[in-house]
Amino acid sequence: MMSGLTYDDSFSDQNILRASGLGELQPCLGHNNSAELPQMSSVNPTSSARRLKPLSLASMAGQSDPQLSLLSAPEVEFLAEDEMVEIVPNIKMESLNMICGDFGPFFPQIACKVPLWLAAALKKRGKCTIRTPEWMSVDKLTQVLETERETPREFQPLPFHYIEISKLLFDHAHDDVQDTYMVRSLIEDIRDVRFHKVESGLENISGRTHAVKLKNLSAMEVNIVRPFMMRTLQAFYKHDNPQIIQQHNISGRKQPQVLTRSTRNLRPR
Amino acid sequence: MPDYYDMDDIIMEDQHIQVIFQVGANGVGLLDPGSENNSVEKGAKVELPFWLAHELQLRQAVSIYLPACFSQKTRNEIKADAACVNLKVHCPYFYELGCKIVPLVSDKTIGSFLYETFTSRYLEMLSKSHSASVLTAPKFLPRLSKEEMQLFEASRSSMMAFKKWRAGGSRLEKAPVLGRKRKTTIPTFPSSP
Repeated sequence: MMSGLTYDDSFSDQNILRASGLGELQPCLGHNNSAELPQMSSVNPTSSARRLKPLSLASMAGQSDPQLSLLSAPEVEFLAEDEMVEIVPNIKMESLNMICGDFGPFFPQIACKVPLWLAAALKKRGKCTIRTPEWMSVDKLTQVLETERETPREFQPLPFHYIEISKLLFDHAHDDVQDTYMVRSLIEDIRDVRFHKVESGLENISGRTHAVKLKNLSAMEVNIVRPFMMRTLQAFYKHDNPQIIQQHNISGRKQPQVLTRSTRNLRPR
Repeated sequence: MPDYYDMDDIIMEDQHIQVIFQVGANGVGLLDPGSENNSVEKGAKVELPFWLAHELQLRQAVSIYLPACFSQKTRNEIKADAACVNLKVHCPYFYELGCKIVPLVSDKTIGSFLYETFTSRYLEMLSKSHSASVLTAPKFLPRLSKEEMQLFEASRSSMMAFKKWRAGGSRLEKAPVLGRKRKTTIPTFPSSP
C-alpha cells in the first residue's frame, strides 16, 4: 500500500548533494541497517580539510557512531559553514585562491559573498563585518513564527542550516546583528514549535508507513530525529510484517492515519 | 536487526523457554533436573535455551510451550495498560523473542498482540524520550525491554548531543592520548672529576 512519502530536500542541487552526505532517510524496506555510510577515516574538522570541495565532506559522515547517528552536531555545523554570507571587509586583500574556489579581491567597504567559515575567520581577525542574512531580521522571523504556530502540519520554508548559521553568527558576530536578544529568542521559539510538530507527527507512524516526508525541515532538526525515526520505522516494519500477523483478514484495523505534511502528494511508485 | 553476529540476538536466543520432549533422549540428562538416569524421557517438561529448542523443534524432537511472558494473564495485564507493564521483568527481549516464536508455536495471535503492545508503548515512550530530563527517566526506564531501550537511548543521546552543542564551547577537543605529563627521564651522569 503506497501510503508513504519520502524525505524531500527540495533546495538547491548543492544541498541535495550534501544531503546525501547527511544520510538521507532511506525507505526502511530492508532487513539491514541500510542507512550506514561506509566508514571513512576520521578527520579533524578544524584542520585544512576546510579547503576541500564541499561534496567530499559528505564522506566524513562516518566519524560518529554509525549505529546511532551518522553525523554529530558539530559535524552538521561544519557542513553548514559552507553557506554564503555577505561581508563588508575593511581591509584591502588580494584574492584567495583555494581548492574550493576563488574568493575575489577584497576592497574596503565593498560587500562580497564568502562562505561562512571564511567570514568567521576574517571577523575573528577583525578584518570585516558580517552582514546579517535577510531572513534573520526580527520582522521576518516574527512572521515565520506566527505562521508556524498557525499551521500545525506544515513547516515554513527556512534556510536549511538556519540553526547553525544563527549560532555561528551569534558566537562570532553578535555585534553585527540588530536586536540580538530578540532574534535569538525568536529563533529558539521557532525551533521549539517545529520540533513539537515533528513529535506530534511521529505519533501517527504505523506499520504502513514506508517513509516519512518532512518538508522544509532543517539540517539540525533532521539530525536530531534521525536515529529515533530510523529505529522506529525498522521496529514497526518488523512487527507489521504480514508473515507475523497472520490474522490480517480478521484484524479489521481501520486505515491508520498516514503522516502527511504540506500537500498530500503521494508519489506513485 | 537479527544478524548472526549481532550481540543482542545471541543474548536473546539464550533465553530459556519451556519445551516438552516428544522423544526420549539419552545422554542429556543434564537438561532435566528431575531425571535419575542420564536421559530425558518422552513427555518431560524441560527448560532449554531458545536456540536449542529451535533446532530441536525443527527436528521434531520437542514441542515448544508458550513462554510465561505471552500467557493469557500477561496479555490481559498488557491490554489493560500497556505502558505501565514492566517488560524487563517478564522478558528483556520481549519483542525479539515474540517474533522468533511466532513460526514455531501454534498460537496465531502473538504477532498482532506484539504489534499492539509496541504501538501503545511507543506513544508513551515518544513523549518521554525527547524531553530528555534526568528526573523522569529513572522511573520509566526499568520498564522498557531491550529493544525499546535502544530506541530510547538513540533519541536521548542525540538530543543531549544537540543541547551540548547548543550550549557552545570550544570546537577543539583535547585528544585523550595526551594524558598526564610525562616526566622526561634524562639519564644524569654522575659528575666525575
